[in-house]
Amino acid sequence: MSVFDSGENARPEGVPVIDFDLASYKGIAASNEAWAKLRSTTPVAWTDDNGGAWIISSYEAVSDGLRNWQALRSGRDVRTIPGPGGSPDLLPINAVPVKTTARMIPEELDPPLWHPYRKVFNELLSPRKVEQSLYPRIRYWVTKFLDDVIETGECDIVDTLTSGVPGAVILEWLGFPKQEWHRFSAAFHNSSAYVPGAPNGQHYLDELEWAFERIKEEVANLREKPNDTLTSELSNKEVDGERTPYEYATGMVNMLMSGGVDTTTSVASSAFVHLHRHPEDRQRLLDQPELIDSAIEEFLRLYPPARTHGRTVVEDTELGGFLLRKDDRVILSEVSACHDETAFPDADKFVIDRFPNRHVAFGIGPHRCPGSHVARAMFKEMLTQVLERIPDYSVIEDGLEEYPNCTALGGWSTAPIRFTPGKRRL
Amino acid sequence: MKAIVHAERCQGHARCLAEGPDVYILDDLGYNSTSIENVPPHLHEQARRGALSCPELAITIIEE
Repeated sequence: MSVFDSGENARPEGVPVIDFDLASYKGIAASNEAWAKLRSTTPVAWTDDNGGAWIISSYEAVSDGLRNWQALRSGRDVRTIPGPGGSPDLLPINAVPVKTTARMIPEELDPPLWHPYRKVFNELLSPRKVEQSLYPRIRYWVTKFLDDVIETGECDIVDTLTSGVPGAVILEWLGFPKQEWHRFSAAFHNSSAYVPGAPNGQHYLDELEWAFERIKEEVANLREKPNDTLTSELSNKEVDGERTPYEYATGMVNMLMSGGVDTTTSVASSAFVHLHRHPEDRQRLLDQPELIDSAIEEFLRLYPPARTHGRTVVEDTELGGFLLRKDDRVILSEVSACHDETAFPDADKFVIDRFPNRHVAFGIGPHRCPGSHVARAMFKEMLTQVLERIPDYSVIEDGLEEYPNCTALGGWSTAPIRFTPGKRRL
Repeated sequence: MKAIVHAERCQGHARCLAEGPDVYILDDLGYNSTSIENVPPHLHEQARRGALSCPELAITIIEE
């Protein structure tokens, strides 16, 4: 079943047709298993589920598809028939598009319009900028949030650290009032972590709507009265000599916030649960801290936060030996690519010093996650300080909860931990 | 040794910089368009690892 009404995606001929309702796989283990089965039999296939779409699961085909931006597009208005890619209220970059008018800029633009907006993000988020401007704040917030719980010996590591840190770093940088930070980060986390299925699911969706409305309001205010915040800078950004349209300005703030807040959360939480369940990996990192950078890449490969993306075909093109037709929808699975045995020997195993590790957790091609450098920096600082300050933490398995739907994002909703109390640093 | 950077393939993953910090040079946007004509011997390993790490396969090493 899908959220939109589309009877237009006629099944192509001569293609393996499979049942693959993404939302029906509950939890990461079941979802990964379904992807593994699909990848080993039909890495390029068609499914009538999810509104009718190509479904791409091998490393090679996913990479080729994501690189082929000329034919596989990300925009909302690139399709000549209704449905994702051709409807103003459907987010086209999701595999199973969600209904929302909130835009994600630059991700849902295609070249050439995409270029100047992407440049704005590249300038803000380059490795050098992250190192110079953001790392000191990242270090501060990790220290502070661990300080808040370290004397008690217990916390929910998701709420305290892996959701809290990205929320504080991004919202402080954007310049939103401090009293709103937790509401924003919770809105993005909870709408992924507890919907569908939670009794208060509607409340979480309302909160997400609040977040997007609040951004619109803030951008409108700052276009009237600019100040020295990043949100103001984005609100008034000039592109090709003219101030960017209001809708695109809000789109950039939407993107920075939703891209920045709950994604790093997902992979960092997965890493902390992994290290609890695999004490030998934790010991290795404690004994050889220099392995942290390769461990980070391996966590990203094994637990990529963004699991799938959607694209719309704008001209007939070939992928994996099949003809994709204009107006077809395409689902590309980064998580499946990351677990592909042909690209990664022992793909289901965590190999702490895996090299090379050309994973696609941040995507590949022009839409490579522009926040990848800040994500790595936040993840590294959280991992470093947890191993230094609460190295004996254990996860209370009974309290673990997983995202109910891991179509687009996967992760731990909540992960309570216990540890030997330590000392504050600030 | 030469490290040829195919700038048109680079998407700014910056893995070359992570593995070869003393070899590779990124621009202000975080992209690499600078081939290295003569990699000194003590940096050969960094150059090789940087090339192998690129998800876009944008760097070719020519051993001489």
